[in-house]
Amino acid sequence: CMLHVPTWLLGKPIFSVDIHPDGTKFATGGQGQDSGKVVIWSMAPVLKEEDEKNENIPKMLCQMDNHLACVNCVRWSNNGVYLASGGDDKLIMVWKRAAYIGPSTVFGSSSKLANVEQWRCVSILRSHSGDVMDVAWSPHDAWLASCSVDNTVVIWNAVKFPEILATLKGHSGLVKGLTWDPVGKYIASQADDRSLKVWRTMDWQLETSITKPFDECGGTTHVLRLSWSPDGHYLVSAHAMNNSGPTAQIIERDGWKTNMDFVGHRKAVTVVKFNPKIFKKKQKNGSSTKPSCPYCCCAVGSKDRSLSVWLTCLKRPLVVIHELFDKSIMDISWTLNGLGILVCSMDGSVAFLDFSQDELGDPLSEEEKSNIHQSTYGKSLAIMTEAQLSTTIIENPEMLKYQQRQQQQQMEQKNAAIREAAGTAMSAPKVASMVNGESLEDIRKNLLKKQVETRTADGRRRITPLCIAQLDTGDFSTAFFNSIPISGSLAGSMMSSQSNQQLMSLDSNATNSLGISKPSLEPLAASIKPTDDAVNKDGVNATSASAAPPVSSSSVLTTPSKIEPMKAFDSRFTERSKATSGTSAVINTNQTAIDRLKDQNLIKENKPKDILESSSDSEEKIPATKPLSLPKRKLELEAEIVEKKKKGRPRKDSRLVPVTLTVQSPAALASEKDATCISAPALALKLPTPIPQKSFTLQVSSDPSMYIEVENEMTTVGGSRLSRLKCNREGKEWETVLTSRILTAAGSCDVVSVACEKRTLSVFSACGRRLLPPIILHSPISALHCTVLNYAVMTANKHGSDTSVSQILLTQHGIPVMSLSDGKAYCFNPSLSTWNLVSDKQDSLAQCADYRNSLPSQEAMLCSGPLAIIQGRTSNSGRQAARLFSMPHLVQQETTLAYLENQIAAALMLQSSHEYRHWLLIYARYLVNEGFEYRLRELCKDLLGPVHYSAGSQWESTVVGLRKRELLKELLPVIGQNLRFQRLFTEYQEQLDILRDK
Amino acid sequence: MSRVSVLGVSVLENPSPFGRPLRFQVQFECGEALPRDLEWKIIYVGSAESEEYDQVLDSVLVGPVPAGRHMFVFEAEAPNPSLIPESDAVGVTVVLITCTYLGQEFIRVGYYVNNEYTDPELRENPPLKPDFSQLQRNILASNPRVTRFHINWDGPSDQMEDIENVDPEPEGVLSASCTSAKGPGTALGILPENSMDCM
Repeated sequence: CMLHVPTWLLGKPIFSVDIHPDGTKFATGGQGQDSGKVVIWSMAPVLKEEDEKNENIPKMLCQMDNHLACVNCVRWSNNGVYLASGGDDKLIMVWKRAAYIGPSTVFGSSSKLANVEQWRCVSILRSHSGDVMDVAWSPHDAWLASCSVDNTVVIWNAVKFPEILATLKGHSGLVKGLTWDPVGKYIASQADDRSLKVWRTMDWQLETSITKPFDECGGTTHVLRLSWSPDGHYLVSAHAMNNSGPTAQIIERDGWKTNMDFVGHRKAVTVVKFNPKIFKKKQKNGSSTKPSCPYCCCAVGSKDRSLSVWLTCLKRPLVVIHELFDKSIMDISWTLNGLGILVCSMDGSVAFLDFSQDELGDPLSEEEKSNIHQSTYGKSLAIMTEAQLSTTIIENPEMLKYQQRQQQQQMEQKNAAIREAAGTAMSAPKVASMVNGESLEDIRKNLLKKQVETRTADGRRRITPLCIAQLDTGDFSTAFFNSIPISGSLAGSMMSSQSNQQLMSLDSNATNSLGISKPSLEPLAASIKPTDDAVNKDGVNATSASAAPPVSSSSVLTTPSKIEPMKAFDSRFTERSKATSGTSAVINTNQTAIDRLKDQNLIKENKPKDILESSSDSEEKIPATKPLSLPKRKLELEAEIVEKKKKGRPRKDSRLVPVTLTVQSPAALASEKDATCISAPALALKLPTPIPQKSFTLQVSSDPSMYIEVENEMTTVGGSRLSRLKCNREGKEWETVLTSRILTAAGSCDVVSVACEKRTLSVFSACGRRLLPPIILHSPISALHCTVLNYAVMTANKHGSDTSVSQILLTQHGIPVMSLSDGKAYCFNPSLSTWNLVSDKQDSLAQCADYRNSLPSQEAMLCSGPLAIIQGRTSNSGRQAARLFSMPHLVQQETTLAYLENQIAAALMLQSSHEYRHWLLIYARYLVNEGFEYRLRELCKDLLGPVHYSAGSQWESTVVGLRKRELLKELLPVIGQNLRFQRLFTEYQEQLDILRDK
Repeated sequence: MSRVSVLGVSVLENPSPFGRPLRFQVQFECGEALPRDLEWKIIYVGSAESEEYDQVLDSVLVGPVPAGRHMFVFEAEAPNPSLIPESDAVGVTVVLITCTYLGQEFIRVGYYVNNEYTDPELRENPPLKPDFSQLQRNILASNPRVTRFHINWDGPSDQMEDIENVDPEPEGVLSASCTSAKGPGTALGILPENSMDCM
């Protein structure tokens, strides 16, 4: 066991510490200057002495002083995406990293305090009427619990903040600690009322209240952080008493028995924290005589300033570190690998302890742990999370190579960007980034020309600010972010420190497992931060002194002698103005004056109603045509309440006429490959046409395990209604969206086709990929049937159209394309003898699709070819608009997929190989980024074709002149970017290798 | 928590002749939509000696403010030379940008301003009576001094309803209440060193 106290972490009281699940950073919460303070720190300098000494490695990543009062608790969600903090201001704040924003400084602070990472508050949870003492995420991150001195525990719906699922009432004293059962069945709370209560998550009712071990307790511990063992068997309380001695009470899950405790601390136990790992005895030289039981490890911190670490298989503590701090221990956090802990104290310091596997034992893998849960409790809530994916072992050296190359590229890009920005940032505040040929500066200028200024009723100027980014998504437009680049070396070293996650403590004072003396704290006092004032003043002096020579240069004070009188201004910077004019003056006026003003309807700030009226007045004056402020006017998502569909076996569709006519023309026979589609002959038969329904489900006759579900107009996005097609086959499910109501559907195990109200027929693969652009039917659909690879379409003939042809062109491959006056374009498909829709100006899919992240680079967007000519340039406005519809991510994904598939199919139809490849790559990237495995797999399978030659194969090795396997080779590096797909990557990599060797 | 945080202020057209308007581009972020407008002010400090010579160059309402990042340009006329003491015309002074919400100032951004003659001749031998037409205003844009104040973002609502209870300086009271009861001093009090309860 090695101990390390980082000196740079000293400061005001630290009440809470928590290590991020990925192990690269940790958060502290406590008292700030005049507010509560949450700080996110880099873990590397704690782990490695050389990183600690390296001034280029930032120690602090981000600080947030948004809490009005002391922060009592900080906790990362299990997936590492969120940080929750609770404080004396009665609030819980939930933080999320804004990934699209680069490092930036806090405005006005010296550059050293730059926030390397941007964490912003995404939710503020208000419910408690007193200080929030502890917060805890449930094992599956679906719930967040908080407890408070208001005697309650609140369970928040973490999927839908700030929804409250339950308020647990029952404690009669300040609730000071919370812990979830690792399998999610219970939550336990400990309070000053000398009780520990266990609540059921099933109905949020009290399971048991344990009081006996706490009878003798006095209520003066600041926190009572209890903990549940990772195997779920034991719950260990904070401050309990046994024979007048402070203990940590062990409570057995089985019957809530209280027969054991951890004894030895001289003062109250403030915090207990179980190691997340379950251990088993280290096997020595293979001479394992009897298999030992798995055991848990627990750290106990106390007001007596010492820390003890226990193994549940030992009667005595493994380690006791006396007088680790000057004041009470407040919180403990284990690293995910279970070999290190951070301990924080009221004295404002944090200590890191490093254990070896020899000391603790061999940790069980997550799988083994999960098996223990499942064997003991059935299904466990602790499911495989994203965070655990990051610890996935890379099995394939090729995959590793791609990952490394990718990291390197990112680093190079970042460095290049930093170099570029650093070059320009020196000369002027201008930012050199270019967006579509426009510099950021130009964009700003243009925006500001459009600044809307109005007059309020009393003649005051009122500016409508330009909204440059929404907050909720954390997805900021990169065009506008306000970042200040950090130096290249700094970013580079940061990166290297992150990639190197080796855990090491280089503390030379390392001793054996027992009895560590107090580490020297002497030099710490010297490192007190200068106050803001001093820093700023120094800054002024430094700037003016160093920049003295160039006399006429801009933005510097030229004469050093003039600096001295500036001190006279100091108070002006920091003291609030005394009623200079306007509102504050109004507040200070006497009663009669106010009455008078009231009559005149002038005191805006004091009268809420007035200001509301006046503001709405002026809003009306805002011209409606202001494109860039559009995001503010969020379009309400007119989400219609979808009728609950009947579960269970869907009935067979009986609405269609049972008679079907299958007519095959010679043309269709010639192309038996994909599909056969014939319009109804000019028989004088009057066929019924199906009427659109809200939703329907049908079972595919050829494959009874396959259902097709249709939900028409399930959501409205950007003014157009989307209908959802869902297909379920043996538990595998896919979904897609269409812009027209679906009338009928049919499917087989290979294809699914649907006919829409707009007289289009769409064909999808077994995994939901669109195979063809919408085929235009001459007349409304009547019946649709589908066999293995053929399907018959029967349409009822009805003519009549009011649109005219606006343009006809012939591509270089001789494909006729017809553009109509309604903005739609069709091309003729000779193999099917049909017209297919290839472009629709009003297509809402195009407006909603958001695949920015999957674009290779800016210039690649400009892909020329017949499709681009027909569709015109894909406008940026469409992508920007995607943000303002505020649609659920799922819908966005579906629209994006549907759009990209349309594009691929259209490019294919137009035989535009260049564009086909372009859209295929974007599509693949999108599938990789969003994790759509089935579709990705199907795509790869199609591109690879049969590995072994077979005569009956209908697979063609090329598509629009491109070799499919070459395309697959291009896709593999893309697939390699997501570790999740490493199996897929390996599989296809190997098969390609086999093919190459042949 | 502060609902509005100022992300940055850019000084536009700097340096510029003394008589030209001052232009600042302000970027701020708002965590939650504000039901009321923000009020921004530009104050030119005429003399270090006394606030008497402060000139409020302009004040403007900014709204509506939904959650998100926003930006606007705040332009104000140049200070009135006749209100500036002659002895303070040339040299260093300060310009302040303040923002208030519900009458409570929550941020103050201050810049040093240097006014000097561009003509070396005038610089060597400045005229007794300052010639403002020859003065160049240079705002030390790289070094803003930012002071933030805690205010009650929900407004001193009770006080607003009941005008008789309006505190002359509501912000003073509020900032006091915002300061934590758990400073280092009181933190000690929470944990008396010789606590016996658990011995």
